[in-house]
Amino acid sequence: MVQAPINPATKIPPSRHEFAEVIHRLEAGGAMLPDTPENLMQIIGLYKAYAVPMDFYWRDLLYIAERVFLNPLPFFKYFLPKEYLDLHNHYAGDDADLRIWRGEATAHPELLAFMEKGETFKMPKLLHHLWHDRINMEFAEDLLRAMLWHRGMGGNFDPYLDTPEYKAAADKAIKAYFQGNPVMLGLYKLFPEMFIEQVRQLSYYSNLGLFWEVMAPVFFEMSDLYDEGKITTVPEAMNFLVNGIFAIAGRPIYHHVYIRGEMYEIIPKSKGFMWLYEAALPYVEAVFYRTSPFRGTKSYNAQAKQVPDDQKDFHYGILYADVFPVGTAGIPPTLLMQDMLHFLPPYLVDYYHKHCRGEDDMLIQLGISFQRSMYVVTSAVIQALRTALLYPLDDSNPKHLQANRAFFEAQMDRFKRPEARLRNIQSQNYR
Amino acid sequence: MLSALIWLPVLGAALVGFWPGLSASRARFLALAVASSLLVWTVVLFSQFDISNPAIQFSELFPWIETLGLNYHLGVDGLSLPLLALAGILTWIAIYSSNESVERPRLYYALILSVNAGIVGGFLAQNLLLFILFYELELIPFYLLIAIWGGTPQRGYAAMKFLIYTAVSGILILAAFLGLAWLSGSSTFDYKAIITAGLPLTTQLILLTMLLVGFGIKIPLVPLHTWLPDAYVEASPPVAILLGGILAKLGTYGLVRFGLGLFPETWALVAPGLAIIGAISAVYGALTAIAQKDIKRMVAYSSIGHMGYVLLGAAAATEISLIGAVAQMVAHGLILAILFHLVGVIETKVGTRELDVLNGLMSPVRGLPLTSALLVLGGMASAGIPGMAGFVAEILVLQGSYSVFPLPTLVCVVCTGLTAVYFVILLNRTCFGKLDNNTAYYPKVKLPEEIPALVLAVVIFFLGLQPTWLVRWSESTVAAMVATVQIDNEQQVAAVEAPAIER
Repeated sequence: MVQAPINPATKIPPSRHEFAEVIHRLEAGGAMLPDTPENLMQIIGLYKAYAVPMDFYWRDLLYIAERVFLNPLPFFKYFLPKEYLDLHNHYAGDDADLRIWRGEATAHPELLAFMEKGETFKMPKLLHHLWHDRINMEFAEDLLRAMLWHRGMGGNFDPYLDTPEYKAAADKAIKAYFQGNPVMLGLYKLFPEMFIEQVRQLSYYSNLGLFWEVMAPVFFEMSDLYDEGKITTVPEAMNFLVNGIFAIAGRPIYHHVYIRGEMYEIIPKSKGFMWLYEAALPYVEAVFYRTSPFRGTKSYNAQAKQVPDDQKDFHYGILYADVFPVGTAGIPPTLLMQDMLHFLPPYLVDYYHKHCRGEDDMLIQLGISFQRSMYVVTSAVIQALRTALLYPLDDSNPKHLQANRAFFEAQMDRFKRPEARLRNIQSQNYR
Repeated sequence: MLSALIWLPVLGAALVGFWPGLSASRARFLALAVASSLLVWTVVLFSQFDISNPAIQFSELFPWIETLGLNYHLGVDGLSLPLLALAGILTWIAIYSSNESVERPRLYYALILSVNAGIVGGFLAQNLLLFILFYELELIPFYLLIAIWGGTPQRGYAAMKFLIYTAVSGILILAAFLGLAWLSGSSTFDYKAIITAGLPLTTQLILLTMLLVGFGIKIPLVPLHTWLPDAYVEASPPVAILLGGILAKLGTYGLVRFGLGLFPETWALVAPGLAIIGAISAVYGALTAIAQKDIKRMVAYSSIGHMGYVLLGAAAATEISLIGAVAQMVAHGLILAILFHLVGVIETKVGTRELDVLNGLMSPVRGLPLTSALLVLGGMASAGIPGMAGFVAEILVLQGSYSVFPLPTLVCVVCTGLTAVYFVILLNRTCFGKLDNNTAYYPKVKLPEEIPALVLAVVIFFLGLQPTWLVRWSESTVAAMVATVQIDNEQQVAAVEAPAIER
């Protein structure tokens, strides 16, 4: 799907955009991240470190969406039952719908080993939980809440949540779930919208869970290919993502709930919501670009207009984030960095040991590698959109190339903001 | 017993300086060993000290040049004992916190030990000429310490300014001492033998003024302070600790010991003026500190402000205010030392002291979190937050002085608030905010580099929570000193009232 690029500079004049160098790289089939072995090692290592906790995230998100559902006191929602650890990923293992990763379909062995002992020692699950010596689901929940909060980012999934059809399905599930519980049913009678909104949130649990079910095996496979020497450049890594995006673009996004052994289809598969348009693109928009002002990184004064009036102008995502305050209490990315820290491949640990403060600031170093890797994922999404909506990179018609140029320039305009890290990641010294 | 405190560092300095083939690390080790021995010896001295006895203790008297009235007469009382401890701790801290790869290490450590010997000698001397000898002895080492190991090319200028100012201070004090002995007809310069009671009031006033100006330069008081910002800022942090922490105390100690101690009659006349100068110093120090952009200069100016409290307490000369003044000398020494040390750590790691550049050092992973936390603590201690030594000292000074000089005291109360203002500015800009992604790749602060600040923090907290350990040593000495002032005051009042009765 991604064609062998030619140098478009021969057909259209060079871009005068601030990020002309990056645009030319994109036009040549590259990524926003410069193609260096060091960058490749960082992004692939991070995909691996991200994929292991992600293997827990998607399982637990589906568990919460499908089983915990509206439990008013969900104390044990992060205690994943064996059933969900053994749940087969649809894109790994022998019985996969489409086998992206050549590994097993059940929970990753490194994840299981970590769940057993954590970074401390073997002790009851509750103590691991309270000590935060576990996979931190709080991060994952924060992201889906960002998706829910930034509603109306395109696609059909989000508008569907406001339809009578959706509400009727949710109503049926709510009444079934609280059957024999007059208190909760009474509350539902009094505040129906509150319950429906909770179900909407749970639908996003399912949405993100299904999105990550795909991404985890993609990242595992990329890591394995890198280890085997089959991915050797950043564009190759990006193209693997682009091809993966198209391969599973049609994967259905749905929300099923299991109550007393019976399945309730809150969003049935038959609605035909597609992975690319209803999960991947809203995810990138909400999480990579927008999110919300992270608690703790900086005090934002909304009255002084430090926070934009319009949600579409929010730019607090990982592509813009200041990673240096990682470690401060209350910032969701700290939890993600902590999760990834446990699963870094040895080559990346050695690499971090050689830079900055070595082991002491590994959380930040890996955070910046994560930022680099997410710029590659975003590049893949931009290239995929260009493939879907515009013209091939080697198109012979200059007008088409100009249209591609305009598309890339419009995308790069979003990184003109001073807090965007696109400038930083062009240098290897940003670590 | 007391001679050891002087001669041990002298011997140490000689060994460090002249032992053939001594390596840099061994020179440092030897200097630290000497400083540690001095600390231990000071602790022994404390254990033997009789706190109920207001007089000079552990007296040592050897005739030296009797024709000049110069005797080797040492002794310690409640006024000098806490300062000995301060000198011991800060010398150890200064040596420990010195850069291990300091240039010309043997000369450096020898000079620091010489400085210690000179200052401790000053605190112990019970003969005025002997005091002057020690007082002058530390000038040259300090000059060299600033001029050779100072920060910028301005260090030569700063060192020379320091030398000229403090040399003038020494000359004034020497002149005052000579006048004192000769005019009072004393055959010796021994402290106890000097009695000013017989001198005319004008003579006393002139002599006291000379002393006040002399010691005022050393403290320093506004407007005699202009050498301080340059010297403190240009000196390396360990030298700044010695300068601000203990050398300045030689000035305040001299003021109380020789100003108040030798001129109890005249003190009441100059006291209102001194209280006003104290208040002005406090205001000037605080306001100037607020205006600074360099954190080291900010701390240097804060020192001027805090010395103002000592002057106020000494001027009021009540029992509580004097105890407070002594406590403030110790507390200020400790707090200034922790601040200078931390500023030094920040400068070493971040490479700047500019308030406009520093930011976000509290960042837990990439910043200097422990250093920042200790800086916050130092700032709080300096601002007189309860629970720390600075509070104890300031509350005693203010409480003791209010009854005598209410207005200057109230001004000083306001200044404690202003102290909080500039420390909030310093801490807010330095510790909080965000790290610059382009520049914030600072090396980690290793634990040994934090140890001086941690030790000082423990002492500051301990003395804040157990203030009796700060004030008990000087209570009886101060009580005796205040009694002489009060008696003299009463006599003066009687003398003024007597003619009225006759009329």
